[in-house]
Amino acid sequence: MKLRVDPKGAVERTIGVAGLVLLVLGPVIFNDYWVNTILTQMFIFGIAAASLIFLSAYGAMTSLAQTALMGIAGYLLGNMVTQGGAGGESKGLTLGWDPTLAIVLALVITTAIGVTFGAIAARSFGIYFLMLTLTYGVIANYFFGQVTQFGGFSPIAGVDQYTPGFVGEIVGHPDKLYYIAFGAALAVYVAIRYLIRTPFGLSLQGVRDDPARMSSLGYNVPLHRALAFGFASLVAALSGVLFVWWQGQIAPGNIGLAATIELLVMAVIGGLARIEGAWVGALAFIVINNYVRDVELPLIGGSFNTIIGLIFLVIVIVSPDGLMGLWDRLWRSLGRHGGGTPETASVTRQAAPEVSTP
Amino acid sequence: MKKALSWKLLLPFAALAAVAAVWVSGSSAAPQSHTIRVAIMTDCKGAFAFGYEYDSGGAQAAFAQYAGGKVKNKNKPSAGMTGITVAGHKVQIVGYGCGDDTVPTAVKETRRLMEQLKADVMIGPLSGDEAVSVANYAKTHPKKTFIIGTAGSQDPTLQIAPKNVFRYHGDGAQWNAGLGEILYKKLKWRRAAIIMDDYSFGWTSGAGIIADFCAIGGQITKRVFPPLNNTDYAPFVRQLPRPGTVDGYIWVIGGTGTAASLKAFEQAYGAIDPKQHAGNLFFAFLGADKVVGPKVVGTYVGGFGTGPGLKTKPAKAYEAIMKKWYPKLPAADGFVYNYYNAAWALIRALKANGGQVGAALQRAMPRTNKSAYEVSDGGVVKLDSRRQAIQDQYPLQVVRNADGSVGTKIIGYVPNVDQTFGGLFKPSSPAPGRSQPKCVKKKLPWQGKIKEVRNGVITNTIIK
Repeated sequence: MKLRVDPKGAVERTIGVAGLVLLVLGPVIFNDYWVNTILTQMFIFGIAAASLIFLSAYGAMTSLAQTALMGIAGYLLGNMVTQGGAGGESKGLTLGWDPTLAIVLALVITTAIGVTFGAIAARSFGIYFLMLTLTYGVIANYFFGQVTQFGGFSPIAGVDQYTPGFVGEIVGHPDKLYYIAFGAALAVYVAIRYLIRTPFGLSLQGVRDDPARMSSLGYNVPLHRALAFGFASLVAALSGVLFVWWQGQIAPGNIGLAATIELLVMAVIGGLARIEGAWVGALAFIVINNYVRDVELPLIGGSFNTIIGLIFLVIVIVSPDGLMGLWDRLWRSLGRHGGGTPETASVTRQAAPEVSTP
Repeated sequence: MKKALSWKLLLPFAALAAVAAVWVSGSSAAPQSHTIRVAIMTDCKGAFAFGYEYDSGGAQAAFAQYAGGKVKNKNKPSAGMTGITVAGHKVQIVGYGCGDDTVPTAVKETRRLMEQLKADVMIGPLSGDEAVSVANYAKTHPKKTFIIGTAGSQDPTLQIAPKNVFRYHGDGAQWNAGLGEILYKKLKWRRAAIIMDDYSFGWTSGAGIIADFCAIGGQITKRVFPPLNNTDYAPFVRQLPRPGTVDGYIWVIGGTGTAASLKAFEQAYGAIDPKQHAGNLFFAFLGADKVVGPKVVGTYVGGFGTGPGLKTKPAKAYEAIMKKWYPKLPAADGFVYNYYNAAWALIRALKANGGQVGAALQRAMPRTNKSAYEVSDGGVVKLDSRRQAIQDQYPLQVVRNADGSVGTKIIGYVPNVDQTFGGLFKPSSPAPGRSQPKCVKKKLPWQGKIKEVRNGVITNTIIK
């Protein structure tokens, strides 16, 4: 029996490898601004978007709480590591704990909160799930704004000064953060690709496609969804820790409604069906958001929010599955071997759900 | 049998992509060696979106007046300028930061201006929380210089105070110096409630009134904190004590909330009696509101570090300069005046050191400024040891003008107000917040020294 060689997969792997090589050489070939602002942000927001896409593509749960979970982790870290007193930070709890401990606690507590959120929302589907997760986001935003012991509306700053020993100083060494974020993004990508092939991942996809059938087969559907949400919370928490190191400060605006929608836009632009879409969408959004500021269009003038909105609208109309969906459709229309790669998850229910073959 | 597509065929495309990426990223231009790059950071969205043109206009008027800049559009400052030269070097305004008074946008815009557009100096930002995040950014970027535009939060120059951050105007607390004493003496208030925007500027501005009022013996019985950009003030107004249980209400609410909150008060407690209400500088903007403006005629209002209507020679000269370059901008508005002074200080520093930036610019930044509305010390504002201005302040009163419109007039003169309020606020104090400062009796440097101002002229009568 001849092995079917998949040209689309081969092309994607080539592009992937080329991209990875470029990124590894990033600080050498790109200028500082691209490395430290555009690409580092792409890694960080890509991780958060990947948690959103994971839930959406493999769990049929569109969550608007990922930004909130990012922020919760960031706020926990900020409150735990910063120190008060003269020359220190004047907002937040300023506990001054060891950074390594603080990171572990931030990740653990955020994941626990995520599992709780997930458990509460696990029996809701579709729009109701979306609304519940949106509520979590709003609660988190106002909690950190109004409960001023945790920081209030002004930022908690200087968080990037307190990094664990094995990381070393990142203030003044932005390339270090670039590689840390790169490594984390790679690890998250590999972890998700691995998870969806495990028994848990496979049954999650079953729950995605037909919860009633899975339930009648004896699977605990709410538990699966809650645990999936918990995993996504861990990923979002990791993104939050990296984010607060990159920005150096955290404020409620980072987990507000605008930030939540921005993350959703990144995921949708990239494509809610494929995990790679997370970083593709994040890069596209960050680049557009950055470079569109000096553009002036007739009638609209310089309102870049309108321009971003129009670009988003065009992408979604042309390809509801985002840029990755556009890529998939391009291949299908070229009439090469079969449809997408075996790894592609579809957001709509199919009669015969695609399952990855090892 | 179809031959599998060789992945090697795609290597050229991968190479092309790499080249394109390098080209795009490289096109964020490297700085030319002799151009001084200046960024103006302001707001174009949110509660203070109107500041965009005011701030750009104020700063650019200084460049036009003292550095040969040519204004592109007299009615639209954000259209930009050309031809700015100082000490033989070209000065380029590389970009205008578009904030929305929140931290995330401020951080993004700051990075875009200072790292992508490689500005050497920032004039700005506009708003309290933005300045806190910019000051934190400045701490880790010592080679860049930051001259605060008009942000009034206390932290950037008291608690954070990096060596490369300068502020040539008072903070929100300083602007309100004298108001508390006037309310105590002229309106005989003894107990008051205060409602303030729940963010750094709201707290700082409130702190100035609280400190002043409590220092002379007043009591603040209740503090209420609606979030900034709130739209429904009814629940917060209900938290205020009923009329009759306090002598007065102090309003520290800005942007679009000023009128909205007062309307909510009226709906809850009935018509507004001007003797029972006072506000910070945002009351002065109510003149534009045809509904609420007339209701607050007669209220006492905190200043903005400016002296609208002051009849001194420097004030008139400044107003003539602004009229020359941007006739539509209100010269006495702090949003214009403070950016003007910031830019002017920068120009003088560059002239003094021959156009050097970085640490050399920070050494050359002047420690004094001949700000137009300053009267003390021969009309010179001095910076304290933390690069923060010590500034005269002018409490105001809302009045009805001869033509029926609502405006303000200066009624008091408070000389040489410093940021620490005579030692009440220390660098080690917590920043103003919901419970900071406490209501304490204290002797402030200007207590009992506030002079009456009549018709724009400072008299020698002390306000009793």
